[in-house]
Amino acid sequence: MNPINKTTLHPYSRSVSIIGVGCSPFMNTLDDPETAGLTEGELFGYAAYKAMEDAGIRPKDVDYFFHGEANPFYCSNYITPNIQVSEWFGMRGKGSIHHSEACCTGYLALEEAVNAVASGKYNVVLSGCVEFGDAIVDGTKPSFMRRKFDFFEFQESLKWIYDNTYTREMMCGPNIHQDDGAEWYKAKYGLTDEQMDDTLIHMAINSRRGAVLDPLAISKKTYEEIAKENGFDDVMEYMKSFYNPMMSGNLRASGLELKCDGAAACIVCPTEMVSEFTDKKGIEVLGIGNATREANQPHVEVIGTQEATRQVYELTGVKPEEIDILYANDFFITSQLIAAEIAGYLPEGEGWKYFIDGRTAFDGDKPINTNGGRCSFGHAHAASGMADIYEAVMQMRGECGARQVKKLPKTAFLRGFGGAQNLASIILRTAE
Amino acid sequence: MGVKLERVVKTYYDNLEAGKITGRKCLECGAVEWPPVLVCNTCGCADMEWIEMSGKGKLLQFVMPATITKKDEMKDIKPYVFGVVEVEEGPAVNAMVRGINKKNREEILAKLPVDVHMTIIPRDGYSTVIFDLDEE
Repeated sequence: MNPINKTTLHPYSRSVSIIGVGCSPFMNTLDDPETAGLTEGELFGYAAYKAMEDAGIRPKDVDYFFHGEANPFYCSNYITPNIQVSEWFGMRGKGSIHHSEACCTGYLALEEAVNAVASGKYNVVLSGCVEFGDAIVDGTKPSFMRRKFDFFEFQESLKWIYDNTYTREMMCGPNIHQDDGAEWYKAKYGLTDEQMDDTLIHMAINSRRGAVLDPLAISKKTYEEIAKENGFDDVMEYMKSFYNPMMSGNLRASGLELKCDGAAACIVCPTEMVSEFTDKKGIEVLGIGNATREANQPHVEVIGTQEATRQVYELTGVKPEEIDILYANDFFITSQLIAAEIAGYLPEGEGWKYFIDGRTAFDGDKPINTNGGRCSFGHAHAASGMADIYEAVMQMRGECGARQVKKLPKTAFLRGFGGAQNLASIILRTAE
Repeated sequence: MGVKLERVVKTYYDNLEAGKITGRKCLECGAVEWPPVLVCNTCGCADMEWIEMSGKGKLLQFVMPATITKKDEMKDIKPYVFGVVEVEEGPAVNAMVRGINKKNREEILAKLPVDVHMTIIPRDGYSTVIFDLDEE
């Protein structure tokens, strides 16, 4: 198989911690008269200011901000979207930059902020992401006048994340990745189609149980409730019925993202300065591993995750058994299994059984995607990774209420994925 | 020697129009890049030569098309699957493979890896490469 070039990470010049997080509801804004017409400045500004409030700071305390959006030109009609939101949260005139890595944007948003502080250039940096994945502008009217971004138009726009030299023309890369993880896993560990189907269905059920307890999640009903509404006493029977059809070779509708609108943000500062701003413990960013693998390459997610994860474990010295909670960007729900095994959070070749046994739900002993992930929390593409960082921080502080995991997590692993494709493996730890 | 500003992509597609499937071989380490790129991804050397590919490969993994992966523009090449193919010169790619359908899926899965070969097919204004199962 094609060799992948490897990178050795070096320690940050100074330790950096997250001191504030903010997140909007993930929603289809046009479906509710109270939210229809929300704009980029309002959503980003809300998440950004919530993060500042959480950190106990005001906009004047923030030195610089990063802005992430996956598809700013098509969905917002902006090329420099950081400028268009820059006066909506009290930071007029401060420096900023926009970045865009599709569905990995929110994870790399943390990377940008941490690097900016670790370098010594800034002390307090805000990093936020916004996406209108369901309500887009047409560019000829004010930004509150929006229209639905339907599934077929969205699918058509997805081609822009793929290489237009060979990959689109060879027609396979954009279409195999939905199933590559599942096919790779089945072949490697000898699972049948039915075993993989059962695993992915349980994954969806587990994730949904956490999402319905998160007021920010787009999903409001468990699959058990939905099954009953449709006349099924047995949720598995419902999940295997035509109500939950096979959409790809391995993924049912319950295993695909719920695209939506949303924003999220965080504030970082040097760990040694945390107490100057907040009484809460900082959440230290121990390290972030990165890899990219273009979609024409085989096993993009698997090989990219392996490399990013190798880097971050090598840098931090953290052992897989020290990970208390895991997040995986799962717009294809299979990612929960792939990321958790490569991170060593679940045992290799055995992880699928943990999903079937419900052990990965928020109240299990191996919690994964406690907010519901992309298939239940929702997928506001750029903002999703930052929403996972929000959730990880809230869990690590013990502030998640009904969906709080049983054992207070000290160390979290987050696996970013997206953009055909970027991979990021992040380790967070509650600062002492 | 050293890096040259050259039209690798245009040359590749021009060669396809002429019926030749070409890649680039590193003059330093011998690794082949297919489809071709500017610089060797194995050793990083920029000194590459054009080679004609043998057209032979092995299908390592595949998945059938389904609701969200079927595309109207692919109708003319049915039946096809989305596969992982390693070509004889070394590189592996994600590629369309013809000759597998629901009826023979299980049989082919049990036989993997199976031999495939490159085929040039016309698209709208250019040509591309897919793979066909070798005749048994």
